This record gives sequence, C-alpha cells and structure tokens, in this order.
Amino acid sequence: MIKVIQPGLFTTIQDGGRHGYRNIGIPTSGFMDQESAWAANKIVNNEKNESLFEITLTGPTLVFNGNYVISITGGDFNPLINKLPVKMYQPINVKLGDTLKLNNTINGARCYIAISGGLKVKSIFGSKSFFSNITDSYYLKKNDEIKVSKKSKNKILKWDRFNFKLNRSMEVFKGPEFDLLSSNSKNKLFKNEFTISTNNRMAYNLVEKLQVGTKSIISSPVLPGSVQLTPSGKMIILHRDCQTTGGYPRILQLNISSLNYLSQLKSTDKIKLRLINL
Amino acid sequence: MEGNPKTYFVFNERSILISYNCPTNSKLISNISNTKKRIVTHMNDCIVDIVQSINSILVIFDRTKISADDLIKKLKRIEETEDDLSKYNKIWQIPVCYNFKYAVDLENLAKEKKLSPSEIINIHKSKVYDVLSMGFLPGFMYMGFTNEKLHCERKEIPSLNIKKGSIGIALNQTCIYSQDSPGGWHIIGISPLDFFDLKSKNPCFAKPGDKIQFIEISGKKYQQMKKENLVKPIYK
Repeated sequence: MIKVIQPGLFTTIQDGGRHGYRNIGIPTSGFMDQESAWAANKIVNNEKNESLFEITLTGPTLVFNGNYVISITGGDFNPLINKLPVKMYQPINVKLGDTLKLNNTINGARCYIAISGGLKVKSIFGSKSFFSNITDSYYLKKNDEIKVSKKSKNKILKWDRFNFKLNRSMEVFKGPEFDLLSSNSKNKLFKNEFTISTNNRMAYNLVEKLQVGTKSIISSPVLPGSVQLTPSGKMIILHRDCQTTGGYPRILQLNISSLNYLSQLKSTDKIKLRLINL
Repeated sequence: MEGNPKTYFVFNERSILISYNCPTNSKLISNISNTKKRIVTHMNDCIVDIVQSINSILVIFDRTKISADDLIKKLKRIEETEDDLSKYNKIWQIPVCYNFKYAVDLENLAKEKKLSPSEIINIHKSKVYDVLSMGFLPGFMYMGFTNEKLHCERKEIPSLNIKKGSIGIALNQTCIYSQDSPGGWHIIGISPLDFFDLKSKNPCFAKPGDKIQFIEISGKKYQQMKKENLVKPIYK
C-alpha cells in the first residue's frame, strides 16, 4: 500500500485510457505524456499501459507500506527518497516505511511514478484513469491509501536508453475547417510563436489571438490534439480529458508525438507550429 | 446512401472523419446511425472508438491492425452494403414534468417567443426526436430537430447548477442533462429517469440514432417515480 502524505498540486492515477465510450460522451483520458509513462512502466517490467501516478508541476510526498520496485520518468521534480536524491529512468527498490518526496518541477510539467505490478484501484469502463463523475476521485488527497497489485515480476531490467527532452515545435496536420482561415491567418500560424496560457488535462489555451469572428460549426467530433478557433480569435488545443464533440472550427490537429511534447510545457512557454502532411 | 456527397478526411495518424455534405435532417441522422452500426458490426476488430455526430462519423482505428488507406477502402465498401440496421433503433418514451418548479426558464422563454408556457410544452412534446449525438457530459443527449417556433439562442448567462434529468432547448435542438452541471440551455422540464448509470456495462439506455418521445407527467408522478428509483425506461 502507498499512503499519500501530501498530494502535491494535481496528482492522479492514469493508464492507457478509456476506449470505446466516446459515442456516449465519455472522454478517453489516460497518460498526458504517453512516452514518459510507457518508459516508467517498461522500467519496472509492467505492461506499457499499466496504471501509475501522474504528477503535475508540484510533486506529492508518498510513504510506502511495503517493499516495491518503482521508477520515476518524465519531467525532473528533484525526487528524494528519505531526503536523499534518487536517479530517474531506472528501477528503484523502496522498502517499507520509505518516504518519496517530489518537489517543484525543474524541467517539464509532468512526471510519472510506476510501481512494479501496477495500482489496485477500481477499473471503470475498462480504465483506472481518474475522471470527474466517472471515478470516485479526480485527484489524490491527503491520507489516501492506494493498494498495489501483487505480481511477482522476477526480472527487472536495467534501462538506460531513455532520456527526457523538451520540444517546443509542434507538428500539425490541417484540421477539417482549416480553409475557414484567411491566408493572413495561415501565414501567422506557421510564422509566429504562440504562448501557452491556462492549461489542464482538458485543454491548453494560447495567448495570441488569430482572426476574429469565425462562425461556429455544427457540433462535431474532436480529439485530443484538435486545435479549435473560437469566435473571439482564441485558440484552444484540446488534450486527453477533452469532450468528445465541439462546436468551434477545428483548424489544426497535433500529431501523436507533439501531443506528448505539449503535455510537458507550462503557462508562458512558447510553441511553434509546423505543418506536416499525413 | 446515394445522393449524399461524402468526404473521407484523415484526421490524425489513427482517425478518419467521414463528413456528409448535405442538409441535416432526420433522414441523414438515420443514414449516419445505420452506417455507424455497420462499421461497428463489420469492422469491430480494428476499431478503437467511434463517434457519431449530426453530419459526420469519426472512426479511431488500431494502427497495428490496419492502415488509413485500407480503412478508407473498407469504409467505402461498407457504405455500399445494403443491410438496414436502423430497424433496431428504438423509440424511448421519456416521462417529463413541465412544472414551473423544475422548468426554471419556461416563463422567460415563453415571453421571449411570444407564446404561452403551455403552447411551448405542447409544441415540445408533440414531436418524436432523433438522438443526434452525445457529448458535453457522459450521457448528455442532443436531440433534434425542434419545431421552428421553439428555435432560440442559448441563454446569455449560463446557469451554474442545472439539475440532473433537466430538459433543455436551444438552437434547433432539445437536450437532457444526464448529471448536475452548469449549462446554457433553456430548462423547460425534468425527467425522473437515470440517463447515465455508472454501474451498468451499458451506462446509457438510449444511443445516437434512437428516437425519443416525451410523455408529460404531473409533479406528483415525478416525485413518486423519483422515489421508486427503479423506474425503467420503456420503448416501443
């Protein structure tokens, strides 16, 4: 069992996501940065989509009530076990009573803690990923106790080929409503830099505005990575917890790896958009 | 499906958007839900998720099982098959209480539309609606299309707490709030039924493509049904 001493800013349990329910309005959810989460699971010999902890901006303090093998990947939150620094991207043996503390982020916005065996929480509609009104909680709270699935995985491999890199260049495809943009807007999109404003698991808002007055469309399917343009000219990049349909024009679509990169960026970070073909 | 100009748009590395560029009416809704059912029936092994909306279908596929090009070929072939699955679409009878106590926006809307509240109720319940799509909240249903007399913009100031089961109208549509939520639709009634059951493998009884008929009930009946808690939706 793992006890939450301090939950941090926004710590959740995520896995590969909830698939097959978008038609009734249930978002997919799941790891924001899939690459980092998959690495965390691989290091402790889990299936790549096994449940783990996702940490945002300020880390939690956790106490282990058992002996486990864990791994920490993604952004650098200066992890300490019993106040001593530990290395990321490698298996770590923790013992009963050990305290893991993650601090404020030094690099990146999210990091992942995987436990060999995975977390034993209720799976709802095929996923353990936290989401409001679907799972009992939307984020971890002080004194929560999370059970660990018992699986005697014998061999933990040493992994040293992972590394973490921030990337501010987002590769995008044209969205279905790309041609509602003026040629001036299209130029701006790929020439200018854009600044990340408020953001969460549902969406990343951008500061700089594009053309004003673009009309709404018939409510249509959207995906994580869809870039919507509101009538006021604001751009919104949808992320893992986004709704399944929306009425704003879908001007661009981030590719799969850019969506992972975006999830490691924070407010005031700058991004560049680069148009690619499928 | 003849006469419906369709486009197949590659949305991302693992999604295809089928768009129907034709008037949005009941016939299109039934065509789309028929196509969606055929895709689910015939291609279940390579589909991860599928979303039906008023004039499009988004197909999310497993890249390890099929390529985008092959998927589009298969989708085109499926559109040509003849089997009509729309006969499986149900007509659900949904009890609705239109009392002012729950229909918090009915009086204002009536004034705005220059109709009496009972005229609005009668127009609203006199039509059988198509479930166009679901979204916004798990189990939130968009239904259309409403009588022109009821067409209206969303409220300028959204309500912060709309009760679960509330029936709203906005644009050319009507909706059901499956959970307590903020929202901008004009609330004209409430249903005692559960529209999203977390504990069920099939959390929503009605699906896009099904039909909805509203049956007016009294405030007393609403309270009683709410208490019984076991009221099952009925369909014809």
